[in-house]
Amino acid sequence: MAITERPSSLPPAAPTPPWHRRSVRNQLFQGAYLIATALVIVYVINALNLREFGFGFLGDPAGFAVPNQWLIDYDGVTNSRFVMYLVAIWASIRVMLVAIAFATIIGVLVGVARLSSNWLLARMAMLFVEIFRNTPLLVQIVLWYAILIVAIPPIGEVFNIGNAYYLSNRGIAIPWPVPDPGWWNAANWLVWVWVALLAAAGGAAWWVRRGRIARERDTGQPHYPNRWAFSLFAVAALVTFIALGAPVSIDKPIIEGTHYLEGMIITPEFAALVLGLSAYTASFIAEIVRAGIQALPTGQSEAANAIGLTGYQRLTVIILPQALRQIIPSITNQYLNINKNSSLASAVLFADLFFVAGVFQNKTGRALEMFVLIIVTYMLISLLISAVMNVINARVTTHRV
Amino acid sequence: MKRLALLGLVAAVFALAACGGDDGDGDGAAGGDVRGDTVALIEERGALKCGVTDTLPGFGFREPDGSFSGFDIEFCKAIAAAVLGDDAEVEFVAASSSARFELLSAGEVDLLSRVTTITAERDASRAVDFAQTTFYDGQGFVVHADSDIYDAADMGGATICVAAGTTTEQNLDDFFNEQGLSYTPLSGEGSEPQDQFVARRCDVFTSDKSGLAARIASLPNSDDYRFLPLTISKEPLAPGVRDYDSDWKDVVSWVVWGLINAEELGVTSANVDAWAADPPNTAVARLLGVPFEGGETADLGFAVDPQFIQRALRAVGNYGEIYARTVEPLGITRAGTLNALYTEGGILYAPPYR
Repeated sequence: MAITERPSSLPPAAPTPPWHRRSVRNQLFQGAYLIATALVIVYVINALNLREFGFGFLGDPAGFAVPNQWLIDYDGVTNSRFVMYLVAIWASIRVMLVAIAFATIIGVLVGVARLSSNWLLARMAMLFVEIFRNTPLLVQIVLWYAILIVAIPPIGEVFNIGNAYYLSNRGIAIPWPVPDPGWWNAANWLVWVWVALLAAAGGAAWWVRRGRIARERDTGQPHYPNRWAFSLFAVAALVTFIALGAPVSIDKPIIEGTHYLEGMIITPEFAALVLGLSAYTASFIAEIVRAGIQALPTGQSEAANAIGLTGYQRLTVIILPQALRQIIPSITNQYLNINKNSSLASAVLFADLFFVAGVFQNKTGRALEMFVLIIVTYMLISLLISAVMNVINARVTTHRV
Repeated sequence: MKRLALLGLVAAVFALAACGGDDGDGDGAAGGDVRGDTVALIEERGALKCGVTDTLPGFGFREPDGSFSGFDIEFCKAIAAAVLGDDAEVEFVAASSSARFELLSAGEVDLLSRVTTITAERDASRAVDFAQTTFYDGQGFVVHADSDIYDAADMGGATICVAAGTTTEQNLDDFFNEQGLSYTPLSGEGSEPQDQFVARRCDVFTSDKSGLAARIASLPNSDDYRFLPLTISKEPLAPGVRDYDSDWKDVVSWVVWGLINAEELGVTSANVDAWAADPPNTAVARLLGVPFEGGETADLGFAVDPQFIQRALRAVGNYGEIYARTVEPLGITRAGTLNALYTEGGILYAPPYR
């Protein structure tokens, strides 16, 4: 604000009180704000009585067990609560990864289907979106669980496909590759041979891809660089793997009494949670995909039609690459929601990190510490998801169309 | 320079507030600022807030009409009658196993009467004090009648339904580790473990034996289930009160002991009126807080008036009557168990009321 000279005809002005000056007022307000904030913080710290705040109790043995163990072998007698918490974090992350994959695939398919000219397909997609978007996620998860428990046979009447695939209320058991521990260690020189071969195959694939991209640019004809590069690498990896003796055994599940041994077991709790999260999030992703596609000018589709692309080519070459710029930031939010919504796990008896932390809190009374830990854990996972998605987003937005 | 002054100001505020907050708070108990005179609090409010379970038939159960019934509920009523003179003045609060101690320490309930096991850790580290045990229990197992499980050794690899965050869950882990057996726990809150067991999601359902019997008895086909002849723990179930309130704890403990003493002395809800008017001996007179043959009424110095046990008896009867009314219908007989009077082979042994 410019200060102008007063006209000399007016009487001399009274000295301006300091609080009329903006800078002084601003500082007063800021000071008052800081004091108020400090008082609130001090009050909270006092009210919570933080004298005993600490995380030492996480070092004590947990004393109970959880069913879903992944990556970490665990027993409640010798292992600490902290290890138990790690087990639970892995359980949560496994749910998130699977749910993110399913939600993305289903969401993109349904989103594209909503725009289909096939009346039935479009209506089915709309029905999917409206059902899963408009009911509470907790209700959906509990309903999935109830359906699974009622619909699938008890272990006594297990549904058996060729003594390799089983379905019962203990879960789905399927054969699963297990690496041979005798072969897979750093001392075995064959491992390094395979790593070297893989690196060579990767280099070759990259070289082929570059050559095909160049030829595509020169001739204007499709030469499918990514498809070629990926196939080359996959075939090379598979052939060398088999040539070196395929040191992986496939563990077929077997039934002993009322439980499965070996194989990969997908429990009804895990399945209900993943189904709930996937369907719910897919309904939002479908709308995001639809919005992203519809935001493109219709000229893009018309041009694609005009140059004689098929419907599939129009979608994969013209529409989706452009729509992704709109879609990815919104989908990132949905992935973050999957992270946060996975905390509903305890509704279906799935021992995720929130459930296990709740048990710790119940047993030790360390509510504040546990909630700090829970919040920090979810925040870290969210930040990790955001970081990965930002990298993807950066790649997509600089993509040459 | 100005910024420095501002920082100084903030630091001063912090220091000031921190000093103020330290006063009268020196015992270092975590959480829960409600402490002191619970008896006065209840009298002022005119109602006892009792934290109960509402899903366990026979112990704490919410009937379809919204009323509560069960063994633990009767003790709430007895204590309300003892303090307030009216057993209807109870506000029942459903306290889940995970939130019970927080409800107590936050002052949301005055008393926990909900199948809670005394453990050293709870007594020492939580803001809870345990009054006299009302029920001696132990952890047992129930399976489907057609199951192949008959003993502990048969449970290897089994899926076991259990309530989350309970002593049961810890005993289970200890027991299986001692036995060198593997198992898959499926833990949840409320009636969830029972529901999943009934749905055959688990092979075994474990809990306190009384609770198991109560839950199984409440099922439509209770013959479809079988108990294993196995008890793996001691579970003394006791009412819980807040730490640092011994007057209140005394009242709660002595209502329990009073009702046990009453059974020993033969005082029942049927004869309490007659015996209060004309006590047959000094022990009964003391217990009912009435003078014996023109003598003085003994005031033992409780935070409530001397007739509090008499009022509790009038409301719910003695220990045996409560047991017969609530637990026995579940098929849990009393004779020969820990919960019989010491004169009848049990361990109910109340200190003398004098």
